[in-house]
Amino acid sequence: MANQLNSKTDAEVVESVLLEAVNLALHYEMAHDESVVVLGEDVGTNGGVFRATAGLKDEFGFKRVMDTPLAEALISGLAVGMATQGLKPVAEIQFMGFIFPAFEHLFCHAARMRNRTRGRMTCPMVLRAPFGGGIHAPEHHSESTEALIAHTPGIRVVIPSSPIRAYGLLLAAIRDPDPVVFLEPKRIYRGAKQNIINNGEALPLDTCFTLREGKDITLISWGASIMETLQAADALAEKGISAEVIDVATIKPLDMHTMLTSVARTGRCIIIHEAVRSFGVGAEIAAQISEKCFLNLLAPVQRVAGFDTHMPYFKNENFYLPNTQDILAAAKKCFSE
Amino acid sequence: MKYFKLPDLGEGLSEAEIVEWHVKVGDTLKEDQLMVSVETAKAIVDVPSPQAGVVAGLFGEAGDVIHTGEPLVEYEGENDDSGTVVGDLSLSDHSQNNAQDDFIVGSAHSNNLQSIKATPSVRALAKRLNVEIDHIKGTGQDARITGEDVEKAAQLDQQRGQSEPLKGVRKSMAKAMIQSHSEVVPVTLHDDVDVHLWDKQQDITMRLVHAIAYACEQEPALNVWFDGKQLSRRLLNKVDLGIAVDTEKGLFVPVLRDIQNRSLENLRLGLNDLRGAVKSRKIPPKEMQGASITLSNFGTLAGKYANPIVVPPMVCILGAGGIRDEVIAFEGKACVHPILPLSLTFDHRAVTGGEGARFLKALMDDLAKADTE
Repeated sequence: MANQLNSKTDAEVVESVLLEAVNLALHYEMAHDESVVVLGEDVGTNGGVFRATAGLKDEFGFKRVMDTPLAEALISGLAVGMATQGLKPVAEIQFMGFIFPAFEHLFCHAARMRNRTRGRMTCPMVLRAPFGGGIHAPEHHSESTEALIAHTPGIRVVIPSSPIRAYGLLLAAIRDPDPVVFLEPKRIYRGAKQNIINNGEALPLDTCFTLREGKDITLISWGASIMETLQAADALAEKGISAEVIDVATIKPLDMHTMLTSVARTGRCIIIHEAVRSFGVGAEIAAQISEKCFLNLLAPVQRVAGFDTHMPYFKNENFYLPNTQDILAAAKKCFSE
Repeated sequence: MKYFKLPDLGEGLSEAEIVEWHVKVGDTLKEDQLMVSVETAKAIVDVPSPQAGVVAGLFGEAGDVIHTGEPLVEYEGENDDSGTVVGDLSLSDHSQNNAQDDFIVGSAHSNNLQSIKATPSVRALAKRLNVEIDHIKGTGQDARITGEDVEKAAQLDQQRGQSEPLKGVRKSMAKAMIQSHSEVVPVTLHDDVDVHLWDKQQDITMRLVHAIAYACEQEPALNVWFDGKQLSRRLLNKVDLGIAVDTEKGLFVPVLRDIQNRSLENLRLGLNDLRGAVKSRKIPPKEMQGASITLSNFGTLAGKYANPIVVPPMVCILGAGGIRDEVIAFEGKACVHPILPLSLTFDHRAVTGGEGARFLKALMDDLAKADTE
């Protein structure tokens, strides 16, 4: 990370990839809020298998940066207990494929705490997990099961797609009084670098981000698929088609306002996600668009998604992941009369 | 530093060609040691190593072109600790570094505009009835367009007259004109020829044909096919004259071949045959292809000057207006003489102004003569 000072705010400007942006946000919030603690497998001494928590233990000590046993149920159970008793735990599930034992505490307690106690208690915890495929990892390391969590009331699901949004949204997630599952698209962990102003300024949750303005078609995506979506928007631009690109960012609750106003104007929509097609977040968005933009639609809403199967072993990974050509093929359908 | 990237070599140059490497993989470098010579558009520049280190890799060989900001040399032993995880995290493409990330929180402002509201069945109806749905004002709930709205609009539209798709030569004309308008850079010269020396028996069209043949001899640069993509021109050995023929069905341009080497009588017979074939709609398409220059003799109908349109790959078209008596200054006196107005358009991509003007001068000289003998 190359550091320099931003001339206007005196805040440090840090050139970071998405992974470093996560690390930067954790450093910032731990330094400014003593109630923030970090726990998970290998997050302390090792600094996290991806290095997302590197340097935290040295700076903030073992009492605030805790290595846990290899037990996800314990990690989320501990986090629920800490969160309801005044701490702000940021727990790491090493890969999203390992999250299932953590669901018990997440779904049965974290998600219900506010409702169960009629608002007297909240559960300000963050469960971080790298998710998605594309890094040639073995089984259980490449899933995108955000829809499972989004289906459960009471949990926010947030997915950044750039270093700047990773920094701003993680800070917002930690500060939010309710549980947030923060899913980090590991395929672009070390993608493009951006200059991040390290001033602790959060980005808003529960809103989409419009990455490109366009008038002919709306492309909706999140996570690493944003990369292919932007490439598809470029390819469409060469054909004279102006595509609006929306990064959903907060999967639950959905900011339908942004998506609906865009599709009401463009009349065409493709939703792109890596997760399996059936019963996914794309299906929910498509359903709402069909209900509320019915009169504006010029073509059926398209979904470009993974196949309805387990994420294949890594040799076949690229066949599974939606690519730019898939998006362009869907766009062709939208424009065929 | 893990990668040394080609620095900005100044003067706004964005690339350089590798001339020679002075180091190889495995070499231990001192700071400022000469690594590589590159040639920019301006000079050969020696690039020193910015740091001490061991060379792990060189990007490119002599003769390769490297752009500013692309990696040139990789140093050993400075790999970032990318973790202990299974799987490969791909590093960013270097050109993507410091990628712009402009985004709007929430909705784009332009999204306040609403599009047309209509159910798919109403849109399909509009399409079937050939009605532009954008032009209909909806009378339904929330201003939505109803089936009745579409039917009304279709009725109104019918009363204004039917639209018909262009076919045949009319369609070819539209396409040729669009192509010309998007490609050609036209210049039109207008001038008058005093034809008082002509006797009454002159065949005006044949005089124009003769004059074009003569002008092409004097100034061959207008009897040319021009290729705008390759930027090449082909000086043609024969003059094949396209002659615009007006018919009810549209504009036909049959080609009178090799006008420099045929007698005017022979050409007149040929032209009559072509016109006959056009009238009876029996002209084969090949008789309308391959013209090297065009004549539009619209003067038989009406019109004085024009801005005739060049059709690629040709570079020139002559328009001739009607001969009329005009008062002109002749040998110091006002006289009434018959005047033939000419409009010559040439494609300035292929033809210079001088060539165009010389061509017109040759035309006029030939036309001003009493006859073609």
